[in-house]
Amino acid sequence: MEYILKNGIVYDPTNDVEGEKKDVMFKDGKIVDDVSPNAKEIDVTDKLVMAAGVDPHSHIAGPKLVVGRLYRPEDSRRGIVPKKGVTRAETGFSIPSCPATGYRYSRMGYGTVVEAAMPPLEAKHTHEEINTIPNLDIAPLPLFGNNWFTMEYAKEGKIDDLAAFVSYWLKLVKGYGIKLVNPCGGEAWGWGMNVHGIDDPAPYFDVTAREVITALAKANEKLALPHSIHLHPNDLGHPGNYGTTVESMKIVKGISKNSPVRNQTVHMTHIQYHSYAGTNWRDFESAASDVANFINDNDYITCDVGQITLDETTTMTADGPMEFDLHQLNGLKWANKDIELETASGIVPFIYSGRNSVHSVQWAIGLEMFLLVHNPWQIFLTTDSPNAGPFIRYPRVISWLMSNKRRTEMIENREVHKAVEKKSMLATIDREYDFNEIATISRAAPAKAYGFTDRGHLGIGANADIAVYDIKPNDIDPSAEHEAIEKGFGNATYTFKDGKILVKDGEIVDIVPSRTLWTNVSGLEAEEEAIVEKIMPSFNKYYTIKFENYKVHDHFVPNPIAVNVQAGKAGK
Amino acid sequence: MKIVTFNQKETSQIALEFDELIPDKIYQWEKKDFEKYEVPIGNSRFLLRNYFDVDIEGSAESPADVKIIINGDLTRVKYIGFAMSAGEIVVNSSVDLHCGSEMSGGEIVVNGDAESYAGREMTGGILTIKGNTREFCGASYIGDWRGMTGGTIMVHGSAGKQLGECLTGGEIYVRGDCDILAGIHMTKGYIQIDGDVTRWPGGQMQGGNIVINGKLARLLEGFVDPEIVINPEISGKQLNGKYIKYTGDIARNGKGNLYLDAEKNRNFL
Repeated sequence: MEYILKNGIVYDPTNDVEGEKKDVMFKDGKIVDDVSPNAKEIDVTDKLVMAAGVDPHSHIAGPKLVVGRLYRPEDSRRGIVPKKGVTRAETGFSIPSCPATGYRYSRMGYGTVVEAAMPPLEAKHTHEEINTIPNLDIAPLPLFGNNWFTMEYAKEGKIDDLAAFVSYWLKLVKGYGIKLVNPCGGEAWGWGMNVHGIDDPAPYFDVTAREVITALAKANEKLALPHSIHLHPNDLGHPGNYGTTVESMKIVKGISKNSPVRNQTVHMTHIQYHSYAGTNWRDFESAASDVANFINDNDYITCDVGQITLDETTTMTADGPMEFDLHQLNGLKWANKDIELETASGIVPFIYSGRNSVHSVQWAIGLEMFLLVHNPWQIFLTTDSPNAGPFIRYPRVISWLMSNKRRTEMIENREVHKAVEKKSMLATIDREYDFNEIATISRAAPAKAYGFTDRGHLGIGANADIAVYDIKPNDIDPSAEHEAIEKGFGNATYTFKDGKILVKDGEIVDIVPSRTLWTNVSGLEAEEEAIVEKIMPSFNKYYTIKFENYKVHDHFVPNPIAVNVQAGKAGK
Repeated sequence: MKIVTFNQKETSQIALEFDELIPDKIYQWEKKDFEKYEVPIGNSRFLLRNYFDVDIEGSAESPADVKIIINGDLTRVKYIGFAMSAGEIVVNSSVDLHCGSEMSGGEIVVNGDAESYAGREMTGGILTIKGNTREFCGASYIGDWRGMTGGTIMVHGSAGKQLGECLTGGEIYVRGDCDILAGIHMTKGYIQIDGDVTRWPGGQMQGGNIVINGKLARLLEGFVDPEIVINPEISGKQLNGKYIKYTGDIARNGKGNLYLDAEKNRNFL
């Protein structure tokens, strides 16, 4: 099928197209530079056209979602939408049902999402859940930061063994890259403890976060993975944690990048939660400028924000000790699980309120990060969904970024606590994002950071993943018309996935099965075989399941997209 | 005043859902609107007129001007008065689940029994149940920690388990007996039970007041510091007689108060 989108206002930062009125053509699911006269013409005159969105960090599939839904039926009651046309019924607000997850991303014009925390032991279930989410390509990141084998290799400095282990485990669980969550802290939580800072060793392993981050970053580059290490640093959500954040970023500084498809060697996730000054919640204040300045000075770093949206939501993370702290703080129900040799985890509902001084300053810190990091290729749009707020709030966050007027209104009208003025510098920042920068932080830059060369842009040969919004960039004043911006980005006029129309005028009109992006490293087959043999005694001794039952077999991943890389060489 | 009377013609094995038939939504409806209205039943909708004749008298300028009278066997009709904010509903029957749940104003009178979740998460208004009610009256819904926050529930008969669970405001009166865990997890508000109570009222409560004028079978260990109080004034209400006052539940560092009729509960002294 051939299409031509006529006369849209196109923003495609990857290809230096900034607000040009032009046609976008695609055929058989790929962008092309010409189509036949038989191509179907769709008039999008003066409407905003971008590549479909790429969410670099969200929690949409896996056991934590299931537990969250089970123990938060009150969340499932919110967001109920009856089945209509091709869709199934939708439920849930912060933890939507699987079909609702796909539909809601599609309505926002998104096509690819990274599931940011997959415990390898729970990978089968994660993939089963991915298979029930329609309309998205999903890249799951397996957790390695508290893995016993990782910690042993990191302690002993055996980077080659670690690389072989990671390479094999990515194949085994069909994962895309390396995720670290509170390295060593998750293991400490198994003993009811945490680690503080990057040099506090994990109990009994006697290895530090510094050593684990260093080792995994080196292994990542040795394997030439398409994404860098994806780091949730230590001390999340603790006043005064910005020092740990900056030190964590410094660790990777000397490690050479071994990939032509990305610029960074470390991706710092939900940086908002890691940019706090102070010593307790009374003197808590923003350290966004310190963290942003460091990122501005170091182009080997990318980050996503985890913007607070001031909603009632559900926090869920492999950072088990942090969730316990949160439960102690708000007194709400708490779920906790230890994933054997791999990670901790926890879930706690949370109500972020603009009337609360701490929540309001957290809100301001996220926006400060967006506005103080100069290069939009280094900072990406996320809410760490659902932790800081559900992903359906992305359009609202965009409206905040594009409108200093709206931010000022919120501060002056006391929609957020007055502490924002005292404890952050948000009120003094008048920067407003333009459409090109929005396209960068929500699709082009995340795609680049993950090495997704076939998406996030509208260049010839790219997937025809396209979003058209009912926003006329040449007519609208985003600063004044922030409500129209939010509405427009929340209800795509068209969402195309591989050239198929999935959304028309904000309604789902077609459903396609999800696909799984994973990284297939070649070149270390002998080393992988040796490493499996080496770890097998420990595996059989400590895991509760047999190795034969651990692997994610092919039928769990019916629609794979394997990204092939050669270890030691630059990725494809 | 507009009086809308529903007279049942047919019953249904699968419950009808009446959440759209509240004064807020129908105060301007005419006969023809009811004629074409399809009521949810299970996962489908069917014409209301197959199940009810509807008579209308008078007119209304606002929901507060509407009185709805429902006659028949409504034991398979759910969500009567759900989320209503004004007006009046009189039901001359027993009713199914969720009667008066999430209502914020107005009044509902049930001249019969009410199934579970009556008055769930009410924020205002008055719900009177002339018969008995079952579990989770005035409670939160499954999983939620926020129950009824305002309004009044009067149960002339008995109440089932977990009455007023997670109560955070409002008042519940039960003239008959009550099953276990009344006021569990409550933080504010007032519960008064005139009959006997089986076990464990106020479990995990952190605030609010529970008064039991009947006999209590078992008290939780988290209620401590008993003291005798005479004619206490509780939540602005003057009680007469001698009560044993406990504070708890200390399992949650609670500061709620549980008052037991001292004469009927001498065994606790």
